[in-house]
Amino acid sequence: MSSAPTTNPSVTLRGLTKRFGGTTVVDHLDLDIESGEFFSLLGPSGCGKTTTLRMIAGFSDPTEGTILVGGEDVTSTPPHKRDVNTVFQSYALFEHLDVRRNVGFGLRRKGVDRSSIDKRVAEMLELVELGDRAKDKPSRLSGGQRQRVALARALINQPKVLLLDEPLAALDLKLRRAMQAELKSIQREVGITFLFVTHDQDEALSMSDRVAIMCDGVVEQCGTPEDVYERPTSVFAAGFIGTSNLMNGLWSDGCVSVSPTVSIPAPGHQGSADGDPVSVTVRPEKIWLTEHTPGMFRLPGTIVETSYHGATTQYVVSVGPDLTLTVLEQNLPRMRAEDRWSPGDRVEAGWLPEHTVVLR
Amino acid sequence: MAAPTAEATRRTAPRSAQRTRLWALLLALPTAWMMTFFVSSMVIVVLLSFGRTTNDGFPAFALRTDNYEALWNDVYLELFLRSLGYALATVAISLLIAYPVAYVIALHGGRYKNALIAAIVVPFFASYLIRMYAWKALLSDDGLVNSALRNLGLSDGITFLNTSYAVVGGLVYGFVVFMILPIYASLERLDTSLIEAGKDLYHGPVRTFFFVTVPATRAGLYGGILLVFLPALGDFVSAQLLGGAGTFMVGNLVQQQFMEGQNWPLGSALTVGMMTALTVLMVAYLRATSTQAREL
Amino acid sequence: MARRVERKPVVAVGVTIVFFAWLYLPILAVALFSLNDKKSLSSFSGFSLRWYDDLVHNEALLDSLVASLQVAAAATLGSLVLGTMLALGLERIRGRRGNLIGAVTLLPLVTPEIVTGVAALLLFTGIGLKLSLTTVVLAEITFSIAYVTVIVRGRLAGIALEVEEAARDLGCTPFQAVRLVILPMLLPALLGAGLLVFALVFDDFVLAFFTTGVDPQPLPVRVYSSIRFGVSPAINAIGTLMLLASALLIVAALVLPRLLGRGTSSLDLITGGRR
Repeated sequence: MSSAPTTNPSVTLRGLTKRFGGTTVVDHLDLDIESGEFFSLLGPSGCGKTTTLRMIAGFSDPTEGTILVGGEDVTSTPPHKRDVNTVFQSYALFEHLDVRRNVGFGLRRKGVDRSSIDKRVAEMLELVELGDRAKDKPSRLSGGQRQRVALARALINQPKVLLLDEPLAALDLKLRRAMQAELKSIQREVGITFLFVTHDQDEALSMSDRVAIMCDGVVEQCGTPEDVYERPTSVFAAGFIGTSNLMNGLWSDGCVSVSPTVSIPAPGHQGSADGDPVSVTVRPEKIWLTEHTPGMFRLPGTIVETSYHGATTQYVVSVGPDLTLTVLEQNLPRMRAEDRWSPGDRVEAGWLPEHTVVLR
Repeated sequence: MAAPTAEATRRTAPRSAQRTRLWALLLALPTAWMMTFFVSSMVIVVLLSFGRTTNDGFPAFALRTDNYEALWNDVYLELFLRSLGYALATVAISLLIAYPVAYVIALHGGRYKNALIAAIVVPFFASYLIRMYAWKALLSDDGLVNSALRNLGLSDGITFLNTSYAVVGGLVYGFVVFMILPIYASLERLDTSLIEAGKDLYHGPVRTFFFVTVPATRAGLYGGILLVFLPALGDFVSAQLLGGAGTFMVGNLVQQQFMEGQNWPLGSALTVGMMTALTVLMVAYLRATSTQAREL
Repeated sequence: MARRVERKPVVAVGVTIVFFAWLYLPILAVALFSLNDKKSLSSFSGFSLRWYDDLVHNEALLDSLVASLQVAAAATLGSLVLGTMLALGLERIRGRRGNLIGAVTLLPLVTPEIVTGVAALLLFTGIGLKLSLTTVVLAEITFSIAYVTVIVRGRLAGIALEVEEAARDLGCTPFQAVRLVILPMLLPALLGAGLLVFALVFDDFVLAFFTTGVDPQPLPVRVYSSIRFGVSPAINAIGTLMLLASALLIVAALVLPRLLGRGTSSLDLITGGRR
């Protein structure tokens, strides 16, 4: 799935590399983003995602490689001539101009006539629900409103791709959730390609059509949110998104032996020879402590730790010497407090073999 | 650093160059200006200090050390030491005034803080000359102070002018603001919980003040000392207006050589001497303060 | 413990009160005696505007006033342009070269004015420039660039680099980004710096003293030559007017940026700013 050739590419990166001094921040990156896609670059700080974005915008010159926007090589095009717009982390609003002029700034630079600017600005402000703040200076707006002005200011130019650099990072949690939904619906409405940079996995998973997980300047995995969550292809990808029970062991005869007493079957896995070291992971919410179904792989163990998270309860189950599993259980309506497990309870952890993911 | 490939270099060079060119262009004019009107003028001072005065009384470049030899006598040395003494006294008195004032405004000024600071800044930005003149008028033999003293029968007149006190007083009046502002700024930034913590630790406001508050505002203190010392050492207006021949400073001498005596080479040597002394003191001072800052 | 915190430092408050009295006493005395109807500087015998009337009819003095205003305006303009260019350039050119240029610009701030004045005098005479108001302006610009640069750099630091990138992103060339976005956002700082420089140059005596020609002389130089020969009520009147003008300018420098938006006022810049 990763970087599959696309029919209508909006952004294409080939061998994109950036070095600062001796450090390689982005390392031979290949990426194809389809037109109209909501694409996220997800990774920890320092992974090179923002640098990649800045190279696409034109603020940073690649050391090597090419950047194509809408099929056109823009590698050496200055930012003001690229058909790309950016929503900055700090919003970077022009404090000396009112909201209307901020939003109309790009069109005015393009020489669009005044009446069409006014019309399009008004439409755009309606879209981001700021129609009544047109004449306010940015300093009078709240964080969420400033964010929407920044969005409108970029979107109004109808770029081939909109770059968003952690635009929600400065908002508080509740507002961030609301803005996520709004951004997604705006993107659907305008149909512009969004390239979204974030370190927040929930944000990336809930909004994106596709996600690329970056680490140390390379893409670890690229795919739909479901792909990268359910079928991580690397230890980093598995560890970065969600909680995962990562165990190291040796491949032998369709199973991974992670300790002398525990051997986990992984029927779907191919390509490893007996004796190969591999890692194996299973998501905490795939593990059941009760109501096992036939065909489940089961491991007896003891609850060593519980923590209540509201909608869920997290258990740490010891299934062998130095081997624990994290298990996430829904707090279903029929469950009462006394139905939950307590430390010391003997349990059986079971999951379907297809939920075992083997990573090489 | 790994060398970028030839292809990448070729491709990205033009744009980087274009960007740098704009900023280089912006810098070019002011840099050229400073080189022409500041740096080169300093060079001329140094050159002329080795120069001579022609028979017609015009300054000329030469390569002799006469001017410096002329400086090496008791009269000039005393003048140098006196200037240094006045400047140091000015710094000390300014410090004694500025710290309490800045402290009161910063920590107890409440909502009048800005108004109080403005009240200090306004007269100080107003003409330095006029302020010196104001003191002259006030302290002169038939000035307000003396007539008040006479009317009250306290004294039949005190000569204030032409004394070291008057000159140093004028210098303090002229430059104390440069001590107050940096100290005020560092006190404003001071985390008051530090003082609270200090009071628990050191028991008592006096020890807290010297062990916590003063060290925490060291940057402002060091800055203020420099900002008062520099102009005080080079001043000639205070000594000219409030003092007399017995209280002249290096600045007066320089001024005389250029504007009255017309011995420019000697004046240049004096200027270079002043700058050298200043540079030595500054370097020593900066070194001492920076090591002290490191130790903490 | 609360009691200890509340306690006012009595000695320090005393010093502050005495300080303010000492600060304003001579100035107020000058202002007062400028309204005296007698020549005495120690006893106020009656209210009169005669000394101000004298001033208005003193041609030479009026010429000097005009000269000073011209010098201050020209120097303000020149140092604003050069200082802003320098600040913008230094923001980008970092590293050793930038540090060196930055240090050279700041040198006039740590050089005693008499040295700068003497050096300027030698330079102008050396290159055969006749001393006049023009030479005063050149010297004052050189001296004032540092103030503008410091203030503008302070404001630039508060403008995210992203703002300039946003301008580029929205279709500005590098030059347009400066003209359409950076400069307008710097406006409060530029205004503050301009007023500050104007006030400083208008009042500046030392540089003007060394670099001016004979006629007309800037106001401080003329005032100096009269003061040297003694105290007179006419000078009280000039002094009072100069004080008022300076005070007005400073207040404007402090208040205008506030009125123009949320920019830092020059006061904040002088005192190191409050965040």
